[in-house]
Amino acid sequence: MAKTLLIIEDNEQNFYMMRFLLEKKGFKVLGAENGRLGVQMALEHIPDAILLDIQLPEMDGYAVAAELKKHHELDHVPIIAVTSYAMVGDREQILAAGANGYIEKPINPDTFVDEITQFLGQ
Amino acid sequence: MITALLCCLLYPAFAGQKVRVGIYHNTPKVGLDEQGEPCGIFVDVIKYVARAENWDLEFVTGTWKEGLDRLEAGEIELMPDVAYTFDRAQHFSFHEIPTLSSWFQVYAHPGSGIKTLLDLEGKKVVVLESSVQQKSFEALAQSFHIKIDLIGVPDYQTVFQKVKDREAAAAVTNQFFGNMHARQYGLEDTAIIFSPSALHFATAKGRNLNLLEKIDKHLKLLKQDHQSEYYQSLKRWTSEKVSFQIPQEIKIIALVLLGFLFMSILGSLMLKHQVNLRTAELQQSHAELEHRVLERTAELAAAMERAEAADRIKSAFLASMSHELRTPLNSIIGFTGILLQGLAGPLNDEQNKQLGMVQKSARHLLSLINDVLDISKIEAGQLELAPNSFALRPSLEKILMLLTPMAKDKGLELRSQIADDVGQVTTDQRRFEQIIINLLNNAVKFTEKGFVSLACRIENGRCLIEVADSGIGMEESALQTIFEPFRQIDSGLARKHEGTGLGLSICRKLLEMMGGSIDVKSRPGQGSTFYVSFPVNKEAEHGKNTADN
Repeated sequence: MAKTLLIIEDNEQNFYMMRFLLEKKGFKVLGAENGRLGVQMALEHIPDAILLDIQLPEMDGYAVAAELKKHHELDHVPIIAVTSYAMVGDREQILAAGANGYIEKPINPDTFVDEITQFLGQ
Repeated sequence: MITALLCCLLYPAFAGQKVRVGIYHNTPKVGLDEQGEPCGIFVDVIKYVARAENWDLEFVTGTWKEGLDRLEAGEIELMPDVAYTFDRAQHFSFHEIPTLSSWFQVYAHPGSGIKTLLDLEGKKVVVLESSVQQKSFEALAQSFHIKIDLIGVPDYQTVFQKVKDREAAAAVTNQFFGNMHARQYGLEDTAIIFSPSALHFATAKGRNLNLLEKIDKHLKLLKQDHQSEYYQSLKRWTSEKVSFQIPQEIKIIALVLLGFLFMSILGSLMLKHQVNLRTAELQQSHAELEHRVLERTAELAAAMERAEAADRIKSAFLASMSHELRTPLNSIIGFTGILLQGLAGPLNDEQNKQLGMVQKSARHLLSLINDVLDISKIEAGQLELAPNSFALRPSLEKILMLLTPMAKDKGLELRSQIADDVGQVTTDQRRFEQIIINLLNNAVKFTEKGFVSLACRIENGRCLIEVADSGIGMEESALQTIFEPFRQIDSGLARKHEGTGLGLSICRKLLEMMGGSIDVKSRPGQGSTFYVSFPVNKEAEHGKNTADN
């Protein structure tokens, strides 16, 4: 059965690229363009993993990660932060806020899906 | 519950019984001092009793008559200085032990020759108008069959003033007032004394008898002890200031001494004046200096604040700029990659070739942006290292893997020599890899045939890395400046070889931040070798240096 991924990302091109690559490999992809909507959709759909941008309108990635961690129905859902190399200290902070791992921006189309698959584990 | 009840019962005792006391002017017995505060012997006594009995005193000032009226009306509880008479006993209650015993006395100019009542025959004598003493003095004169011209005035001060002004020969007052004030008017007491009386505190008839009882209790004790506050009060209020005649010669000596004293005080005052002038001048210049220092400090603080604010803005600008520039570029590179992989459908050869050019240009633009942002951050002091511990060998092998396709394209041999003891290092891995990639990239770029090599070993707690090539090499003069920013552009190399010329200066700055260094050996046509050295563990290295010193 196809795994469902929720991508919380406000940049349209980035979202399109990630969705394109993931759908090519048979994933079902949901999208949220801001943090608040992202939390709402995560609780509604309980996806298999959540890809979370840090710089988001309304609620940033840190707040979203912290909020998602409060809901036990999402305990088994890995949160993968998509962080920009530009921001020193971002990674430590987002892991502290509750993310299970991170993927670096810019995403590499050659390796992106493999990296996601690793987080999904078995 | 019981405690609460007890508290309620005891509360009034703690708060103190309120006792209102009448005050009128008849010092030293009772009156108001210069500050308008009640004073006098009666006040001292009642204050003593109040302290002992925890009474809350309130003084009500008025005339003698007002005081007695208020006492009867219940507006005050106690009136002081009341002589016991049969009449008064109808309206007031008295305690038993007299607070003071007093009498009336005649005062006259010294040397007036008035010694007995008989000496007053036919003379003018001033008394307080309609007072007890007026009546009793008249009675006294009558009983001796002498005629005295009695003049009544409204208060004791006027009584004395009249005699002082020689309008009368003698004055009658109570002995307390007389002893206290006679000297001021140049008068002295005579031996004529009459109408002794006992003075008490009085309450309204039959009321507040407990107050009288307490006053008696304390007066009894006070009068037994000759050091008691009662006697101290008497002494304070009634003691005469003793004066004596000073012999003439002593006066002269004293005057001479006084003269000397005056001269020396004058001299020291003049000296002091001059010192004061100089001190004031010094203080003024000191104040001016201080003012200027403060002003300058404030200016500097403001400038500092502006500079820091500008710095923060610059820092924030750099951070957001790097993000804003890279995001669209990453999207261009990403989609180009997707298209080139054929994920979005097959491409023909020409499309493939052109998209490849788009990808190459986009990657170059990204590296330029990264370099410019790096050097701006370094120059602004905004670049921070994030040291972590990592295994050096896999890191270097990853870099070699990355460079392999480029070297292969140019037909170059990519050699590596990593010593066996190369293990963990603690430094900023990303920045370390950036430095080595940059050096290897340059080596491949400037080498047309032959080899590019990477060597790594550990020596004395430092990691030593050599990047060598068999490329075009450099002139001695160029070696001086290659680590300065923008050098490639100056030398015209930029035309032939893509790049900002920032790479090496970034490498040097980063290595300096890591506690390391970079050096180069090169000769034209004989290739170049770059030597990189940095501590395996920056903290440990630092500690070692300190210990050696």
